[in-house]
Amino acid sequence: MASDLLAIARSGTKAARAALDVTAQNIANASSDGFVRRSVSLSEVSAAGGVGRTGDISLSGVRIDGVTRNADLFRQAEVRRTGADAARADAEVNGLENVEAAVEQAGVYDATVDFEGSLKQLVSDPTDGSLRAAVIESSRALASSFKVASTSLDAAGKGLRFQAQDDVDQVNLLAGELARVNSRLSRATEASSDQSTLLDQRDNLLQQLGTRIDTTATFAPDKTVEVRIGGSGGPVLLSGQATSPLAMTMASDGTIGFTLGGGAVTASSGALAGRGQALTQLAATRGKVDAVAASVIAAVNTAQANGVDLNGTAGQPLLSGTGAGDIALAQTDGARIATAPAGSSANSRDTGNIAALRTAIDTADPAGKLDAVLFDISSAVAGRTVTRDALDGIASNAKVALQAQAGVDLDQEAVNLVRYQQAFQASGRVMQVASSLFDTLLNIR
Amino acid sequence: MTIVSSSTGAFFERARQDMTALRSQTEQVQSQIGSGQRLDRSSDDPVAASRLRMLARSDKLAKIDSTSANRASADLTLADAALSDIADAIGRAKVLAQQAANGTMTDQQRASIGKELEALHGSILLLANSEDSTGHALFGGQSANQAYTLDAAGNAVYVGSGTSGELPLGEGQSVTRSLTGPEFLNFTTASGSGDLMGTIKTLADALQGGSPDPAGAARNSLDALSAGLDAVTTGQTIIGARLAWIDVAGQQRTSRDELRAGEEMDVGGTDTASSIAKLQEMMVVLQASQASFAKVAGLSLFNQLN
Repeated sequence: MASDLLAIARSGTKAARAALDVTAQNIANASSDGFVRRSVSLSEVSAAGGVGRTGDISLSGVRIDGVTRNADLFRQAEVRRTGADAARADAEVNGLENVEAAVEQAGVYDATVDFEGSLKQLVSDPTDGSLRAAVIESSRALASSFKVASTSLDAAGKGLRFQAQDDVDQVNLLAGELARVNSRLSRATEASSDQSTLLDQRDNLLQQLGTRIDTTATFAPDKTVEVRIGGSGGPVLLSGQATSPLAMTMASDGTIGFTLGGGAVTASSGALAGRGQALTQLAATRGKVDAVAASVIAAVNTAQANGVDLNGTAGQPLLSGTGAGDIALAQTDGARIATAPAGSSANSRDTGNIAALRTAIDTADPAGKLDAVLFDISSAVAGRTVTRDALDGIASNAKVALQAQAGVDLDQEAVNLVRYQQAFQASGRVMQVASSLFDTLLNIR
Repeated sequence: MTIVSSSTGAFFERARQDMTALRSQTEQVQSQIGSGQRLDRSSDDPVAASRLRMLARSDKLAKIDSTSANRASADLTLADAALSDIADAIGRAKVLAQQAANGTMTDQQRASIGKELEALHGSILLLANSEDSTGHALFGGQSANQAYTLDAAGNAVYVGSGTSGELPLGEGQSVTRSLTGPEFLNFTTASGSGDLMGTIKTLADALQGGSPDPAGAARNSLDALSAGLDAVTTGQTIIGARLAWIDVAGQQRTSRDELRAGEEMDVGGTDTASSIAKLQEMMVVLQASQASFAKVAGLSLFNQLN
């Protein structure tokens, strides 16, 4: 079998053209999300000589072996794993910051101190109308700031659950997309540019899935993926084209749990895990704020019941409600504050009962307890922020490491552009030579 | 990070991360300088934030202590003035009693002295019913009404409560804001206990014909008047001691306020000089990294190919 110079040159131009196309594609997608750099692998086409024809030169040029996708499976898995951790920490810190803001910005600590102050001031002249009015107004401010804290906590919880529900929907959506990608992958030709595009999609979807819930991906020989929640022994979210639906459940205290295909499943990283942790902390904080509000209500109302007001009648409850959510002012008339002990006459300047009230408040120590609540939540935020920053750094490093390996380097592409252009031109020159050789033969006469 | 060759995307990503971090740190220092506060929210430094909350609470309560101290001080000063006036009145009563004890006086003269003593009794009653800074009976303890009323026979009767109210001065200290009437108007002599207004009233009545021996009655009353003057000046001493105590407590409060303010500044304030130096340093670094980024990002092989 002989060689055909023209055919060899033609295969050369074809290969160079394909390589130029791939280079151009790389340049065009230099900043596309999840795009992995492609390269063309070429291989020689030549026939082995037959029996007795060992001296033959049978060369047929070059052919495109396939489009290689330069992805490193380990680095991709690292990006997914670290991304899930970072997303969990980020969601938790965001949620906790909302909880912190809800309690701190409601001003409930300041309102408690103001209330204590107004009681202390009333001691100096218990029959003074303006001082009594000040106590009523500071109680009103206390009640409303407790309510603001409660409403803000509710709103923060609602927001977290809304985001978690959105994440759950996204997980189901992404699993569905992955199932479609799986079905197309199983039909795609090995090392085709079509397969490369599908693999890009697959990895991109897996990465998005990983930021929401921790997953383990197992790849089949035909490049389709099986996804499990948690470790490699966890429940299956996606296998082939079959998906199990993820769902969110809510407990009465507002904390959330998840089920996969009806069975309970735990999220240990990913945004869903972070939101779950933030909601648990929120429920705990809510309980503590409620307890402080209840202790203030009990202390004030017990003391009221033990004394007589400015008119000489037995004191009535000053605050109503059972917690931060429903605390309210029950008396609006300053004269109804029972400053004097039981048995005192009207207009008494005896401060016995207000002293008892102040002792009861000191014992209940709402300011100290609220300070502890604020300290708990703010130190949780501070500690988790450090963790978040560390995990964020690790995740960005993993991302950069993957990009450095799988991303497009424009300088390299520029070099390839020149290289394949020259290869194309050289093949063209070979064609010219073949043509002039042919002409030489034709011109023999 | 050790990456030898890098993709374009990785280069931009790393530059973006580094500059964003620098920029956010710079902004944080800037906001610290702008607000003068090191903490923007509790989670910036939970321990310091908790300490600042406690200090703010103490500040607020100390302000109320200071108001209470001022009120107590005003009441005690009023009481002191009233006691001075009562002491003056007793001095005058003593002079009158001595004149009346003189045997050369006619009954008519004694009767007019009796009239003046009656007037003195009235003014002491008025002084004993003085009002404090809030309009309540100054010497009536915690009663809602006057300290003394006159009964049908014209005798002053104490109707106030047994003790005066106490005002807190902070850190568990307190001060009694006044004296009750009986604390300085009642006294004991060798012949038993008595009260000042009763003594003067009895003498006035005796000098106006209520007694067969008005000169003797005047002589007898001299001891009681001296004891009454003693009781009033003792009262003044007590008030002076209380005023001094308020001053001491006030000084303690001021020094505690200063300590607190100092700690607040230490815990929550910004050290402007070092913050500005830090800001300057960060800006230099940020500018340098921006400039180097612009230079390196401009390096593209495509610019060289044509």
